[in-house]
Parts: sequence; structure tokens; C-alpha cells
Amino acid sequence: MIARWILLALLPVVAVIALSQPRRLSAIIGMGLFSLLLAAVYLLMHAPDVAITEATIGAALVTAIYVLAIRRTGRLIVVADEAPGLIAREGKQIVGLEYDILVGFAREVGLDLSIQFVPLRRVRWLIDHHEADMGAGGIIPLAVEASNLMSTPQHLASGVYRFEAKSLPRETARPAGIAKIAETAPDYEGYFSDLLTHDRNGTLPTVATSLDLARVLALGRTGAALHGLDRMDGSYGYAFLIAQKRVELQRDYAGYLTRLRDSGQLETLIGRHFS
Amino acid sequence: MKRMHVRTLLAVGIVAAFAGLVALSYVQTAPDPADSQYYLARPLSETGASNRVAGIYLNYRLIDTLLEVLVFSVAVLGVRYYLRKSDNIDLPDLSESEVVQTAVSFLSPLALLLCMFFAIFGHISPGGGFAAGVIAASALLYVAIAYGMTATEARWDPRRLAFAEKAILLSLLIFILVPAFVGKSPLTDLLPKGTPGDLLSSGSILIYNMLIAAKVFIGAWLVIAAFALHRGEL
Amino acid sequence: MAAIVAFILFGIGILALVLRRDLVIKLLALGMINAASILFFISIGDRQGARSPIQLPGDTAILVDPLPQALVLSAIVVNFAILALALVFVMILCERYHSTDSTRIEQEIAREIDVEETPCL
Repeated sequence: MIARWILLALLPVVAVIALSQPRRLSAIIGMGLFSLLLAAVYLLMHAPDVAITEATIGAALVTAIYVLAIRRTGRLIVVADEAPGLIAREGKQIVGLEYDILVGFAREVGLDLSIQFVPLRRVRWLIDHHEADMGAGGIIPLAVEASNLMSTPQHLASGVYRFEAKSLPRETARPAGIAKIAETAPDYEGYFSDLLTHDRNGTLPTVATSLDLARVLALGRTGAALHGLDRMDGSYGYAFLIAQKRVELQRDYAGYLTRLRDSGQLETLIGRHFS
Repeated sequence: MKRMHVRTLLAVGIVAAFAGLVALSYVQTAPDPADSQYYLARPLSETGASNRVAGIYLNYRLIDTLLEVLVFSVAVLGVRYYLRKSDNIDLPDLSESEVVQTAVSFLSPLALLLCMFFAIFGHISPGGGFAAGVIAASALLYVAIAYGMTATEARWDPRRLAFAEKAILLSLLIFILVPAFVGKSPLTDLLPKGTPGDLLSSGSILIYNMLIAAKVFIGAWLVIAAFALHRGEL
Repeated sequence: MAAIVAFILFGIGILALVLRRDLVIKLLALGMINAASILFFISIGDRQGARSPIQLPGDTAILVDPLPQALVLSAIVVNFAILALALVFVMILCERYHSTDSTRIEQEIAREIDVEETPCL
């Protein structure tokens, strides 16, 4: 009798604690504990059939299914914006400098690497909301950043290039270079979406569009004519994005990058992709 | 920030008022204890099952149970359909350490034994087909955790299991509905009801328990396998 | 007594369903609502000083009502299967919108509907 009352009083407490956890895994484990308590209550209320069924289903199977559905454990989730030479898809494979770095890093920390390609603005959002571990794809962290994002040490120096609008001839409704890009390399449409949006609206960008080195090189490779290319002053470099709270991950990565640099492997990798 | 707290308090207040009203109305119109004797007043020899609960859901309310099994099958079918794209994935050959394997090597047969006990003695002692099926599925889950999904899939082929599931469902349907066409009562008149408390008592309840256990085992295992394949590993 | 706890758990489940944004936690709250309903069913069959409904012939003890237990037994297993199906839908949603935040998913869907400009009556 007393045992039953104690358990019954414990049930809402465990329920509130389990459902107010911030992490999903903690909530799942809390609900497993809740199921076990519930099974004990059923037993004390003279319902052994129900108790057995609830214990096995709630504690074993439901927990197993939820844990299988939450894929975060054991993976290093990287969200990337496609950047040629750094991390890009070629058919079924992914190639690039940043990809090689990430593969080595994942192997070192013992996690599975999982890369998703998303637009650039999503990269920041995903890292902000702890949906992904690292952000990649030719990101140049500029001076003003959100306080909860932090960039890793740079792995490759780059520059920021601007197109000056004044130099584009006003008569052309659609600058020739952009048209060529859209035809020959439809995969690259994402990088130059700024230019293409302006182009679609019929206006020309009054403030220059900034592109980084890798994308400018890709633009050049498509044979587009670049007008008014101007390099901005300052030293910029590519880096990855990691959330501010992931201190251990930052530390691991900093150590890994230093080792790469010291042993000269970073030079080799850069040479392989950007020779 | 303050607005969010007000909203939370408002939600808590509304739900508490609702729950309080329901609790109040329940307390004032509590069910009459005499109503509970409807099935208990019937003699034990009508069903032949010592386990009164099994007597109800496998004799008086058998069609209910059949429909529940159907709903279970449809849900399992739905899960397998929506996760079907990951059918041909190459799984990594993972298996756990020797400690886990040793532990599983005696825990898993124990769980299987428990499943068989509940299925076979379901009409005499607590348990029943549903609990048995679930326990067997979790026994196979332990094996899959310890030895990896590829090794488990090699021995328990999902295609064959799916076929067996349909066969079991069909035989359950036949068992339940065919006696109506033969002239007997369409429930459990196929086999004789011995004395309650014996193993071979309670008519077809024994068969139903075993069939339901097999069905639930295959269904639950297929669901777990679909989730594991979708994840890429166990 | 147990019925009142069942109502409290039901209320907690509804609150968690409404107040938490993560879809997986919402599913857990639905599971909690299931558990509360089942607890309520079991509690109405319970009587003072009764025993489990296993009866051998010649046994004349007071037994707990077996009907609610029978109703609820298969419900637990079916709830598990339906929960698995709901979890599959959550996984598909997450893969489509790259988030398990319900507010975010609603915004993305609203944005998609705005952009498409389907003709309507």
C-alpha cells in the first residue's frame, strides 16, 4: 500500500524531469525510467499482464527505437556550402582540400564523417542551433561575428574580391559572364546567387559582391569575363565554424591542425588541390 | 522573455483547470464496483482459461484482438514502406567487445525462453502473446547489438520474415473465422477446453497466444531493423 | 488515487506537447499521454484488497476486474507500433527541412507556400 503511494507520487516528478530536459537523449532515458516505474505501479495494482508488457515495450523497445532515430551519437556532422577546390561534389564523390582535412580529423577523433550540402545562410543557422558540429565550404569569418560562433584557426589564406558595379556596361541586360556560368556550370549556381538574383531583377548590384579566392578561380575557369576585379585590403583566410560551446571539439581541431601544419602535410594537400 | 513566461503560466493554468475538472467529475461519479463482476461472474469453465484476462481478450473479445493485430501489421507495413530506400545499404561490419558478446550469449536465450514461457503458458499465468512477442524481439535486438546487424541479417532474412508474417496473419484469420462457416461457434470451439489450470486447456487460446507472439515478434523486429538500416549501423 | 495521478500525468503530457518545440520531445509527450490513459484504465478496475485475475477452479478470492486490463493489453503494443510510424514521419520531416524544431519547420513551409503562388479560387 505504502509502496504504491510512494511510486505513484514519484511518477509525476520523474515525468516532469524527463520532459523538461534540454537534450533529446536525456529525455529518452528519462522516459525509459518512467516506463519502468509505471510497470512497477501496474504490478502493485494487480495487473501482471500489463506490467510485463509495459516493462518490455517501454523500457527496451521504445528506448531502442528512439535512440536509433537520433543519429547524433558517433557522428561528426559537417554542413558545407559547395566551394570548388575546397569541398565540392563530383559525381558521387566529394573532393577538395577541406574535405581531406575533415576526413583526417574525423578519423582522429574516432567519429564518422557525415557531410551535408546546404546553402550558406543555413550553415550559420545550423551551427547556431546545434544541429551540426562544424561548418565548412570556403567560409571566411569576417570581423563581426555572432557571439556564439567561433572560427577555427585558418587553414588556407585567401582574399576577398569585389566586383565594382561601375565598370559593368549598362547596356547589357545580362552580363555575359553570368550567362555563361549559368549555362556551363549549373552546379555552381549557388555560389553566385547574389549576382544572379540581381541579374534576374534587372538591376545591377550597386554594392560590390564579394567572393573569395576559390570561387573567383572557379569563375575564371568557366571562361567568364570578370570586370573590375578588385582585391580588398586585409588578410583573410578560410576557416571552419564551430559553436562557441563545443570547447573540446575546438581544442581537438586546433591540435590536429597544428600537427598537420608542422608535419608539412597541409602544404602537400594544398598543393594537390590548388596547384 | 517575460511574454514567454506568461504564456507558459497560462498554458499550465488552463491544463491544470481542465485536469482538475475531469478529476472532479470522475471522483463524483466513480464507477460502481459491482459492474466489475460482469465477466468474473461467469464460470471458469466457459473459457477454460485460468488467466481471466486472457479469457477475455482471446475468447469473449477475440475480434477486438484480431483487429488490434491488424492495426499493428499496418503500422509495421507503414514503417517499412517509408524507410524502404535504405534497403540495399552496405552496413559496416560492426560488432561489440567480447564482454558484450559473452553477456548477450546467455541473456538472449534467457529472454527467448521467457518469450516461449509467456506464449505457451499465457492462459494459465500472466503473460500472453503480446508480451511474448515483444520479449523475443528484444532478445534478437540484444544479439544484433552484440554481433552487428550484418551477421544478424544473414541468419534472419527480412524478406523471409516478412513472408512469414503474412502467413501467420493469414493463419490467424483462418483460425478465427473459419469455424463460423463450419457450423461451430466462431471463437474458440475448435479445440476442446480441458480443465482449467492444465496446459492443454482453454480451447484455441493456446494457439492464438503462440500465433500472436510470432506475429508481434516479427513485426517489432522488422521495425527495429528498418530503423537500424536507416541509421546505417546499429 | 491512481486515477488522479493519471490525470496529472495526462496534464503533464499535454503541457509538454504544447510547450516544447522539439518534435522528438513532442512524440515522447504523446507517449506519456498514452501511459496516462492506460494507467487510468487499470486504476478503475482495482478494488480494495483484491488479487490479480488469475483463478484456479475452486478459488473464491475477490479478483480485480479483468476487463480494463484486457482492453489495455493490446493497446500498449499497438501504441508502440504507431509511435514507430510517427517517429518515421518525424525523421522524414527532419531530413526534408534539416531541423526538428517545429516553429522552424512551420516557417519553412509557410515560405514555400508563399513562393509557389499556386492559383486558387
